[in-house]
Amino acid sequence: MNTPPAVPPFEVGVDERPRRFVARVIFSLPRVTIPAMLLAIVWQVGESAVPVVMGLAIDRALATGNAGQLGLWLGVLAALYIALTAAAGLSLRLTAHAVQLLQHRIRGTLSIGVLHPSGGAAHAPDGGVVSVMTNDVARLSNAVILVIIPVSRIMAIGFIAASLLVTHWLLGLVVLIGAPVAVWLMGVLSGRLSRDTREYQALLASTVGQATDLVAGYRVVKGVRAEAEATRRYRQASRLTLVGATRNAGLLGRFLMGSGVVSGTFVAAVMGLAGWFAVDGQLSIGGLITAVGLAQALLPQIQAIASISIPNLANARAAAAHILDVLRDKATSTPKTTNTGVREITALPALEVSASGATIRVEPGELVGVRAGDKTAARLVEALLDPRAGGGETRLDGVAARELSPAEFRSRVTVAPHRATLFSGTLRDNVAVTAGAPERVDAAVRAAACDDFAPDLDVPAGEGGNRLSGGQRQRIALARALASDAPVLVLHDPTTAVDAVTEHAIAGRLRGARAGRSTLLIASAPALLAACDRVVDLLGEEPALDRTALDKSVFDKPGTP
Amino acid sequence: MTATTQQALPVASGRETAREVWRLSRGHRLRLAAVAGLGIVSAAVDLIGPVAAGFLVDRVQTGTAGLGTVLTVATTMAVAAVLGAAGTAATIVLATRAYHAILAALREQLVARALTLPQHRVERAGTGDLISRSSDDVTAVADAAPAVIPVVTVTAFTIVVSLGGLAALEWPYAAAFAVVLPVYVLAMRWYLRTGPPVYRAERAAMSARAQQILESQRGYATVLGFGLTEQRHRAVMAASWGVAVQSLRARTVQSMLNARLNVGECLSLAAVLVVGFVLIEGGTSTVGAATTAMLLVLRLLGPVNQLLFVIDTLQSALASLSRMIGVATIPADAAAGPSPAGAAAGPSPAPGAGTSVRLHEVAFSYDDGPLVLDAVTLDIGSGERVAVVGASGAGKTTLATVIAGIHPPDAGTVARPERTAVITQEVHVFAGSLRDNLTLAAPDATDREIEDAMETTGSAGLFDLLPDGLDSVVGAGGHPLTDAQAQQLALARLLLADPDLAILDEATAEAGSAHAGLLDRATDAALAGRTGLVIAHRLSQAAACDRIVVMEHGRITEEGTHDELLSAHGIYARLWEAWDSRRGSA
Repeated sequence: MNTPPAVPPFEVGVDERPRRFVARVIFSLPRVTIPAMLLAIVWQVGESAVPVVMGLAIDRALATGNAGQLGLWLGVLAALYIALTAAAGLSLRLTAHAVQLLQHRIRGTLSIGVLHPSGGAAHAPDGGVVSVMTNDVARLSNAVILVIIPVSRIMAIGFIAASLLVTHWLLGLVVLIGAPVAVWLMGVLSGRLSRDTREYQALLASTVGQATDLVAGYRVVKGVRAEAEATRRYRQASRLTLVGATRNAGLLGRFLMGSGVVSGTFVAAVMGLAGWFAVDGQLSIGGLITAVGLAQALLPQIQAIASISIPNLANARAAAAHILDVLRDKATSTPKTTNTGVREITALPALEVSASGATIRVEPGELVGVRAGDKTAARLVEALLDPRAGGGETRLDGVAARELSPAEFRSRVTVAPHRATLFSGTLRDNVAVTAGAPERVDAAVRAAACDDFAPDLDVPAGEGGNRLSGGQRQRIALARALASDAPVLVLHDPTTAVDAVTEHAIAGRLRGARAGRSTLLIASAPALLAACDRVVDLLGEEPALDRTALDKSVFDKPGTP
Repeated sequence: MTATTQQALPVASGRETAREVWRLSRGHRLRLAAVAGLGIVSAAVDLIGPVAAGFLVDRVQTGTAGLGTVLTVATTMAVAAVLGAAGTAATIVLATRAYHAILAALREQLVARALTLPQHRVERAGTGDLISRSSDDVTAVADAAPAVIPVVTVTAFTIVVSLGGLAALEWPYAAAFAVVLPVYVLAMRWYLRTGPPVYRAERAAMSARAQQILESQRGYATVLGFGLTEQRHRAVMAASWGVAVQSLRARTVQSMLNARLNVGECLSLAAVLVVGFVLIEGGTSTVGAATTAMLLVLRLLGPVNQLLFVIDTLQSALASLSRMIGVATIPADAAAGPSPAGAAAGPSPAPGAGTSVRLHEVAFSYDDGPLVLDAVTLDIGSGERVAVVGASGAGKTTLATVIAGIHPPDAGTVARPERTAVITQEVHVFAGSLRDNLTLAAPDATDREIEDAMETTGSAGLFDLLPDGLDSVVGAGGHPLTDAQAQQLALARLLLADPDLAILDEATAEAGSAHAGLLDRATDAALAGRTGLVIAHRLSQAAACDRIVVMEHGRITEEGTHDELLSAHGIYARLWEAWDSRRGSA
């Protein structure tokens, strides 16, 4: 149970509709959902049978004073509870299992398709993918409950109607017609409420997000003494959320009022009808008590379908639409695999990369520096990160990299992007992520001048490396790149947050760390460039003040506001 | 940056929490009293249904019922249902509104207090703690409302009134129900012992999962560049299944609680039958009374189950509440903590005419660590621009924080102007419009002034990229800015704040690219006409300052103008030589 099950990802076509996707998801686990549904029917019908059994017990045992009957009915009651409890327990566990399996499978689909595409496109999914992979996946997976619990509730309503039909045909008919009408009425009421609840929750999330944003920028706020202004802005957002909460409470009240009236009058009508038949002699006293109990048991079933199942379906559809959007967005940008495998690439190939009109060649074993404007540098890195993207052209030993399989290309060329991200874990976990031998790690840590702050590599880096300063983070990232011992290593501005003294030390150690390997160093730091075999200066071709160079980073994508 | 012993922010005790909630309820107390009154009345109205049903059964059995009786009973039940529903709805609406109003007041107080806390206190506790209190805890308390409010109002009243009604109408049945009570008490004790750790583990697994997904998203380029795709996919999927395992445990605990509650239900109903049998045999009760009792007990069971099921939500909401109140009620004066002996921090001692900043024999260490600043004495004249140069760990940043007043010194004195602003290496773009970002420190700035500030710091080029001008949304969820752009914004913000002393701690460090020159000019513009302290990263920045201070191991080792230091042939001269010659060759 502790090892993740191997689940195949869902195949999603470009024209997949949210409705159909929800259906495919909830019917994809019949081996779990069908037994869960059958058990749920036992459970819900059992719950509805409790008032029937009680009514019969009062009629047969209490009204007659027969002690044997009392014993019998106590036994029936106990047996009923044992059966419904066992069925409920098993059904709930199977349902939870189905929900979790589906979550895992949909998450896997998104992980392979969007977060970790095997082809690898240089454009990252935006931050919204985190919420899609947690909240939306959970909402969609919860829809599987629809083929389990509401089915059993409908069966229970059917059971109640059938029991009433046996007592008196008209009572059964009233329930058979009245229950769907009541569910529909309450569904309408709950639909409006849950739409508003989503709106209110979005308001709350944005207020909470604002607090997080302000506290995350704590040093900035304090730095310019903007405490009062920041507080005023937060208060404004908080008041807006309060207005939303107040309105939502009103709608909740309307729903409660409406559903209470619908269900209360419905039960009173069934009671009145049963009472009249009893007075009229068409119904025994036992039949009347049973009818009373059954009418009571009807209420929770109707309420649950209206206030749980209907919103569940609506949420699942919205979530499915989000998930399909994210998957499709990626599907169009992921190129098809064209693995020719005709030509052999040497273990240490010559690299040639061109972008923005510039071509840079790195011979095997060379350390080449490139001084370029932001935009050109970004284009070069993009062409090396994703050779299949349109922008530039990358060649290994003269073979176009777009004709190589991603794995083959990546086994030769490692790119350390400028925005270095550390993963949670220890410093050693981070540095050793692609390193073979442990001594490589120590050598890389020395070369990246991390020895001053990281005498012990087994300390945690913190979330996103937040236990380190910017310069320390950058040096650990450099150590990670050096430890990979890649045949061809591309470094992009690896020391911008490092002080001059340390940068100097790193520049002196770089050549030794990359001896016998090829390195392409895209940087503007004089100390680093001075350590290269040769420097290609592209800056003359692009003015430093070029405003287009202020364009957004290639690794960012405008998020949806 | 080494992890210091964390001085966590306070958490309020139960009594403090209650006192603060009571204080915040001012203005809503009438409403809360109405909630209690309405709750009890509507719970009582809800009793009418079962009583009427029992009455009807008795009349039918004795043959005294006619059409009129049936009509009266059915109408009574319908009216009671409508009144009960209205009362219940009103109770919940009133309670929910009061709850959210109090929560809004509390979260505003929390954020206001958090932002005015002395910075060193927050730095020591870590901003993570503060973020979690102002986001996770606020969300937890808000999300608990739909579960907790009906339970503490309607459900609780229903239980009390139904039990009371049962006792008043048919007291032997109530006594029988009381006999079953220990079953419920045991179930509750078991759940409170078993549930919370399981839910905590589930939540921890969820945040670990979110963290893994977030890291893959943020580190997308790194994952791609290092060929870590498969490895990261496995890490995310392992975290995903980690949640599945914990969630299944949590659902198992819930179904075990369910089973225990079913035992209670079954025993309660059995007790009704047995008591009813004995009483009817003895002639002290009727079949109708037994029916009423049965309906009342059935009506009780739902709320009792609900109550037990939300107990853990209630508990965790209370825990979040006391964490929020812990920060929100830190007293303003005691917040600074005992000032270290012999240290007079703050702008109070006037440094004397012509001098803006005066440090005298300042020493500082983080907690009980080694001295990071050791006997530092430094004067900065009004309008003077001083650069601080040194290796990592020399104490440059600490010097900046002590001068800025973020950390009080352990010994010595610090004097600085009242209006001091700091830009740290950490650039943060606030989610919101460009205008919101810039007016943070100058709420009354006009668009004209903002545009001037952007022009002066060279960030007006941003307008070419942002179609909506000052209204463009930037930061999280908006248009992403590069670090260099974010730094230009920070400099423009500084310009608008117009402080007497500006401290730039590696403010342009990130700009290692071709735009260093651009940012240097922006810095120059932002510092014009005020006193400046620049923690210099590139030596070209230092060379442009009036005076340069070189630090080593927490002490000032060299001090003078660029030319003076070059002719002194010390550390600075050597650094400059390396920097300058390489720059020339590149």
